[in-house]
Amino acid sequence: MRSRPFLFTLAIVGYVIMIVPILFVVLSSFTAGRTLSFPPQGFSLQWFQKALAYEPFIESLGSSLLLAILTTVIALGLGVPIALAIARSNLRGKAFVQSLFVSPLIVPELVIGLALYQQVMITLRLDSFIALMLGHIVILLPYAVRVTGATLALGDTSIEDAARGLGASPFYTFRTVTLPLMRPGIISAALLSFITSFNNVPLSLLLQSREFRTFPVTMLDYVQQSYDPMIAAMSTLIMAGTVVIAIIAERTVGFAKIFGGINK
Amino acid sequence: MSTPTYGATASSTTLSPVAAEFVGISQVYGSSVAVDNIDLQIEQGKLTTLLGPSGCGKTTSLRMLAGYLEPTSGEIRINGVDSTKLPPEKRNLGMVFQSYALFPHMTVADNVAYGLRLRKVGAKERDARVAECLDLVGLGHLADRKPKALSGGQQQRVALARAIAIRPSLLLLDEPLSNLDARLRVQMRTEIRRIQSETGLTVVLVTHDQDEALEMSDAMVLMRAGKIMQTGSPTEVFTAPANRFVADFLGYENFLDFDGRGLITVRPEHLRLQPAGVPVYAGTPSSANGFVLPATVTSVAYRGTDEIVTVTTADATPLKVSMHRGSHSAHLAPLRPGDAVDISASAGDIVSLPAEAA
Amino acid sequence: MIRRPKLLLLPGAVVLVLAFLIPSLAMLFSPPSTSTGEVFAKLGAMLTDPYDLTIIVRTLLFGLIVTAICILLGFPIAYLLARSQSRFAGVWLALAIFPLLLSTVVRTFGWLVILGSNGAIGQIIVALGLADRGPQLLYTPLAVILGMTQLFLPLAIISCYSAVAQVDSNLDDAARGLGASRTRTLWTIVIPMSLPGIVVAATLVFAGASTAYTTPYLLGGTGQRVLATQLFTYASITVNWAAASATALIMTVLVFLVSGLSSALASRKGSVV
Repeated sequence: MRSRPFLFTLAIVGYVIMIVPILFVVLSSFTAGRTLSFPPQGFSLQWFQKALAYEPFIESLGSSLLLAILTTVIALGLGVPIALAIARSNLRGKAFVQSLFVSPLIVPELVIGLALYQQVMITLRLDSFIALMLGHIVILLPYAVRVTGATLALGDTSIEDAARGLGASPFYTFRTVTLPLMRPGIISAALLSFITSFNNVPLSLLLQSREFRTFPVTMLDYVQQSYDPMIAAMSTLIMAGTVVIAIIAERTVGFAKIFGGINK
Repeated sequence: MSTPTYGATASSTTLSPVAAEFVGISQVYGSSVAVDNIDLQIEQGKLTTLLGPSGCGKTTSLRMLAGYLEPTSGEIRINGVDSTKLPPEKRNLGMVFQSYALFPHMTVADNVAYGLRLRKVGAKERDARVAECLDLVGLGHLADRKPKALSGGQQQRVALARAIAIRPSLLLLDEPLSNLDARLRVQMRTEIRRIQSETGLTVVLVTHDQDEALEMSDAMVLMRAGKIMQTGSPTEVFTAPANRFVADFLGYENFLDFDGRGLITVRPEHLRLQPAGVPVYAGTPSSANGFVLPATVTSVAYRGTDEIVTVTTADATPLKVSMHRGSHSAHLAPLRPGDAVDISASAGDIVSLPAEAA
Repeated sequence: MIRRPKLLLLPGAVVLVLAFLIPSLAMLFSPPSTSTGEVFAKLGAMLTDPYDLTIIVRTLLFGLIVTAICILLGFPIAYLLARSQSRFAGVWLALAIFPLLLSTVVRTFGWLVILGSNGAIGQIIVALGLADRGPQLLYTPLAVILGMTQLFLPLAIISCYSAVAQVDSNLDDAARGLGASRTRTLWTIVIPMSLPGIVVAATLVFAGASTAYTTPYLLGGTGQRVLATQLFTYASITVNWAAASATALIMTVLVFLVSGLSSALASRKGSVV
């Protein structure tokens, strides 16, 4: 690598741009001072304590977790049957069906949010929480379909044939053979969906209400009004939590499988 | 431990001599015909092989028998009962797949027990049957392993045990040996034969390997392009191939048509070669309906136990002669391309074939 | 084999139609208390009005520049990692991909610390004696571009990585054996063969960068409006449905065009290789 200075330099520039802002955030959160500046002054955990005590943060954190879990479960419940139908049947126009259910990925999230805001909240006068859930489910569905679909496509169909040949009905086969073998795919899809929902800004921004605000949106509001290390501390906490989840995911499923699902 | 007899469904007590039957079975996809109106009878308690090149329809036929594919037309009878529309899970047939298809998330014992659990067999009897089947294939000591910890040959035997455990009326094997290395393949041929004769199961085996078929079968069915070319015992089929395709497939590489004999074929091992002009030895062909043809050597290929000598006759027909090399032939001078030789065959080794269809 | 797959598709299809297709179409063409004609009238107006045109052009420019930089920096990272023999390649890759697990807010606001006049860069410039006060780099095009580059680099790296990884490294060896230098091998073998993946990377980055909201909002302020921030203004602040729908139309068409273009490019390139 030392022998390719040009490429190496470009790579370093790339990593600096990616990592430095995050590094600054983490470092600034430990400051003993009162402002969010660099370099941090002193070392203290005061801002972490303040962040964990700040009501809006904690409340919206709970809301985001609830929303993410609910919508992930629903998206999987809708998406796994679709993936099965595509991978294990003689359906006509499979490619079309697949693109249909993956299409929300192409449409800008803000546009989806606006559509639901207009049609569900304003025209139908439904609760914003319903609109929010629907929006999240729509953008999670592509992950549920594609990632579990990839696992199914890689599997050996003769295993399911073997179960049928031994006398298992289609449903018994699904329960005892297909589903257990789909586990890595389902876990990957669940993790990806959870993260996508939890971190979502555009949808949650348009579809929020006073009663229900998500965590990233609360952070966004906070950054605009007050500019202090508490937000840095909160970010650092979230990052730590994410690292833990990532490590657990790696141990149970393996990174390669998760990110294999992202690529077009 | 006595080996219980298989080959019976739970309810039937007497078995028809025909375990399975195809009547006018076809499988057509759009414009391509995978199986073309075949009639087939599988004899009870015997090992029948479906043999042919890839694409001949043998695997398609097996899958129709198992119920994974519905025939486009015709009737399938299993032990006398019309089963054409029956789904696979209702046919009680044991199938071993080419890829073994073991359940990777279950142990060997659970794999074998799968069909029994389904049939709500009581725990004690289930365990006993699992142990019995694993012993039958020689894998009792590996009951708690997972499939990925086993070798290919071991996985295949687990697949066999799993299929046998449910006491199927037929055992279907789809190219079971093609994923094994050469030595294991030979070993498993004997194994499968032994298991079949010990249990008395009716077995249908699909393969493209003629040696396998010849060694293991009671009955052979040769298929080509969706049609049955010949059926019979290995001896019948081997010594009297019914047409050029069967002869060619079974290794008869020499096809001749001269002196108004019609199409005839002789195995490379049965042709005799002598340098031209040398008097014929006692016992070599000279009787009526044998022949002697002059030819020229074009190439010699050494294969260890024999040599394949390719020659060309006067009317430009290529022939292959397999010449055994051993102490009895050490005195013969080595052959070179261009040498003039005489090729002969005795009447008993010549097989007549019907004229070629265009 | 599943005998009646349509039953399995039904629940998902119902949700997709009711929560996505119908609302989107209704929003684009028939927003509340507005007629379709008004939407298209507003659309026409936007495409001729200099104020709106500036926003559209700015959005496109940001998209193109960010895409170019992400490929320029991302491809070398992907190439070096894909061809690396080091045990640490996996760690560097994980480091590049990890930010994708965080929300855009967390990833972006770090720039506020760096680019403000009292930020890290400002302080360095003052310390070096280049100016009396640190320059205000926030709320400039540079800030938005830097922020979006940071956001989309991981995406570019993943796409380029899988593209390069699929190019058999034996080909590199073959070229080197024939006398090609490493640079020549890169330009004549690796890059041409990774091109489809690079196109995918570019498409994803452009689609994301031209529709991004959080970064232009936080780092661009009112001076650097883009289509996404305008959309939010029309929807929440000025509540101008015709304008909101028109903006949404532009954004959607833009993204569809780019996707379609890259699919067409990909299928042509695929047949050459």
